[in-house]
Amino acid sequence: MIQCRWCQAQNPPGTTSCQTCGAPLDERDKVSDSGWREAPRLRDMVEFRFSDSTCQVEGELVPVAEVNLHPRDGLYFEHHVLLWKDESVPLSSLNTGGGMKRSVGGMPHMVTVANGPGRIAFSRDAPGELVVLPLHPGMELDVREHAFLVASHSVQYSFVRIKGLVNLLHGGSGMYMDRFITSGQPGILLLHGNGNVLERTLQPREKILVEPGGFLYKDSSVQMQAQQMPLKTGLMRHGMYLAEMTGPGRVGIQSMYVHHHSE
Amino acid sequence: MNTYVCRYCRQPSDPTQPTCPLCGAPVDIRSSVSDSGWVKQPPIKDMARLQFGQSHCQIAGTTVPVAEFNLAPNDWIYFSHHTLLWAEPATRLANMPMRGAWSRTMAGMPLMMLEARGPGHIALSDNHAGEVVALPLHHGQQMWVREHRFLTATGNIGYSWHPTDVWYQTGDGDDRETHYPMGQFGDVFAAHEGPGLLLLHSPGNTFIRDLQQGQSLLIQPSALLYRDVSVRAHLHLEYPRNMGFAFWSNRWSYRSIFLRLIGPGRVAVQSVYSPAEDTEMIQQHSYATRHHW
Repeated sequence: MIQCRWCQAQNPPGTTSCQTCGAPLDERDKVSDSGWREAPRLRDMVEFRFSDSTCQVEGELVPVAEVNLHPRDGLYFEHHVLLWKDESVPLSSLNTGGGMKRSVGGMPHMVTVANGPGRIAFSRDAPGELVVLPLHPGMELDVREHAFLVASHSVQYSFVRIKGLVNLLHGGSGMYMDRFITSGQPGILLLHGNGNVLERTLQPREKILVEPGGFLYKDSSVQMQAQQMPLKTGLMRHGMYLAEMTGPGRVGIQSMYVHHHSE
Repeated sequence: MNTYVCRYCRQPSDPTQPTCPLCGAPVDIRSSVSDSGWVKQPPIKDMARLQFGQSHCQIAGTTVPVAEFNLAPNDWIYFSHHTLLWAEPATRLANMPMRGAWSRTMAGMPLMMLEARGPGHIALSDNHAGEVVALPLHHGQQMWVREHRFLTATGNIGYSWHPTDVWYQTGDGDDRETHYPMGQFGDVFAAHEGPGLLLLHSPGNTFIRDLQQGQSLLIQPSALLYRDVSVRAHLHLEYPRNMGFAFWSNRWSYRSIFLRLIGPGRVAVQSVYSPAEDTEMIQQHSYATRHHW
């Protein structure tokens, strides 16, 4: 069997891409000298499976995730990332518990649920990469707002409002972090990272400073807090803030930032 | 004696390596030259390393590449604060003292120049899909760079900025507006103290051309990425022939705005640019040649 170096799933001999996350199995990992590993570049038209459904990733500049949903499967997504769907695929809203308080681009933040059978496709609106994160039972992942593309129905969704990181994470009057939790069942989470995505695993108490717009995701075990740097920016000589990440756990970053006004 | 000169950075280099150790350009591929003579600058290979002093830089990613620095003690770089992606706590960051009133903005936000000193790691990236272009400068070499394309430079490269003197005005009275088609200011980098490394971010793809003495080119002004300081630049206005379809337009408002580049020297263009959005009649302008069709 071939073990995928990205998600650790086992694959039959001879397979060239992981059947669980789509990562190439026949390419070396690209890890920089400082330990940042590039997220695997998914080949055009690669397929992988989750639960009883399949997902195919198309395109390389602004990739599309096309899902063939099994009747027993469902998934959810921010409503504006839906690219196309079969007419027969039913849609419903997910009660996120935030009411109408959260908005994006001036529009209410809505999370939509799609159930099988049928095909449905998603993409975001900036050049970047799809990051496929299979979640084993008992995992908890934090993702910057508006980076999550789609998650399977077995993954619990919530969000937290982060105050005090107002201008840090460019969230305007506030910033939300999406939280994904698996309990008894595995699940899958697809993110869209703008530009290129790199990941680093921090050891316990190991720290790294990340530009807030570059933060993409982290294990919940990684602590994130604002760190004011002794630097002056702007006419008002405001301090510059970076996000200090403290291990243990994974941190994912994106090399490009696209601002979505959210409240 | 090594006589190999990298065709992209024009510096003596090592042909036995897969990439030029000074600029990261691949050594083992054929040059791509268009029929008109533009040479496509090959993107720096993913994870390629560039050596400078006792430090090195590694380029990671291909859509929005990241320049990751491993700074040796006493080596330092400077950069505009908005390009910082991550840094180790051990890397010392500070505001860089600037001569005069370096008051630059981008999209209305002020930019500040920061410096990072080793030992430590730091990474920088721009915010557009494109390529990192590495320009090793030999002792005494200078390079003009379009504003907001600068990613970082080693500490021994001097930095100054100058008005581009390429402008035009539209409108009358209170509606008068000054336009700078290639930016109001240009950055000039000079390796007066010794060789150094300059990194730019080029949105889209990059093409280079070496102009002979007196050879002239017309380009979209905002597409100019960098040029040797020996290359002169000024405005060029062209007025297409009105074939009768635009009879409602003032013939002076239907115009194309170009930048004329005159050799000798190297010029580089990026394939992403911002075309002029106004269509008003030009009232005044900096020195320009013109052509009516």
